[in-house]
Amino acid sequence: MSQNRVDEYRRNFITALGGAAAVVAVAPTLLLREAHAAGEVAAKPADQAVTNAKRWGMLIDVTKLTDGGAGMVAACKKEHGWGDEAHSSPEQQAHWARVVKVTDKLTHNSFSLPVMCQHCENPPCVDVCPTGASMKRADGIVQVNKHTCIGCRYCMMACPYKARSFVHEALQDQKPHSPRGMGTVESCNMCVHRIDNGQLPACVEAAPDAVVFGDLNDPNSAVSQAMKTIGGKQIRADLELNTGVRYHGI
Amino acid sequence: MTSKFSTVFLASVLALAALLAGCSKAPSEADLNLATAKQKAEQCVEPENVIRTKHMDMLMHQRDATVIEGIRTKQHSLKECINCHVSATKEDGTPLHYGDKEHFCTTCHAAVGQKIDCFQCHADRPEVGQDPNYQHTVGSVEGHHFTQGVTAAAAPTAAEVQMVAQPQQGAAK
Ligand code: SF4
Ligand code: SF4
Repeated sequence: MSQNRVDEYRRNFITALGGAAAVVAVAPTLLLREAHAAGEVAAKPADQAVTNAKRWGMLIDVTKLTDGGAGMVAACKKEHGWGDEAHSSPEQQAHWARVVKVTDKLTHNSFSLPVMCQHCENPPCVDVCPTGASMKRADGIVQVNKHTCIGCRYCMMACPYKARSFVHEALQDQKPHSPRGMGTVESCNMCVHRIDNGQLPACVEAAPDAVVFGDLNDPNSAVSQAMKTIGGKQIRADLELNTGVRYHGI
Repeated sequence: MTSKFSTVFLASVLALAALLAGCSKAPSEADLNLATAKQKAEQCVEPENVIRTKHMDMLMHQRDATVIEGIRTKQHSLKECINCHVSATKEDGTPLHYGDKEHFCTTCHAAVGQKIDCFQCHADRPEVGQDPNYQHTVGSVEGHHFTQGVTAAAAPTAAEVQMVAQPQQGAAK
């Protein structure tokens, strides 16, 4: 695989527009800050299905995260109500997003970054699911359809990012917009209920200066422009999963 | 049933009134949701007999449309059923859950011996924390789904109506 689809789209667009594209790319460093509200989500009519015209993604600038992403993780917890499973051991607790600390063994330089489902374009978790419950939506969001999940946890094993967790106990008073229950696997769903409603994901809203969210297929979106300017690294890029969650400063 | 629901509503209205006592503006009729179960049945998303016999099919269809395709219309949304029909608390103020016999869904499911899995994952009561007046006012803008496409679903067959009217022997516990 030579180039990812995001790049392909961008290349085609630039070829098509020629010089005009250069004019669009204004003061690069401003972009991350300009996108203060951290990107954009166009509201979709409730009765229309999502299409592959868009592919949602985000760029997390780790250098601008003063707390290593703890605020983003807390926002996710609050939005979806995970992490307070009373009868689960720490290993069993749900973790839709985690703060991961990385230390260079040689220089002892260390930094933290938030890691959640990376919304792979070629998701291993979807490949292995025996029921089709682990699924990628047309707009690139990877999620578990808990209606058909049998809780085999194959996808947990397949995910290279440890993004998925299993609900070990009966739950009550879940968030009405985020159903979750015993015997099913769950992971970050990019706040799919918010995106469908034209809102940014909760974690993006919690760190507007460090995260840009938007349509990776649109070369003019804030996220595409920011990635064009400062780059967007994948964790374990060698796996060639073309992740929708990208990082700067790792 | 009507009177029981009115009591619940009265209780929640009283609680709301107590909450708002400190505020300068008393809630008007329009702010509160005073619809009785009967009024709600009249304005439900489908005619009562259709709902009785087909609600599971509608929910099943809607769940796939929502999760897989991102279609989030309110008309056949489980969340909206709950928002309209289920009170967040019992009359004594304690949380009302699906396991309680007063729960809207339980009242029938218990009678016909149905064990459903919906509420293992889905919230079985409205989230009051965000909006104390969570229930739609009948005929309000928020309740727009009451008037949309009411004729869309196929009417139940005579056999289905019969089944609902006469629960099978031994099913009820
Ligand atoms: S990060 Fe893991 S859970 Fe998310 S799409 Fe990739 S393989 Fe699946
Ligand atoms: S745990 Fe559920 S989503 Fe994961 S592979 Fe098994 S059936 Fe699929």
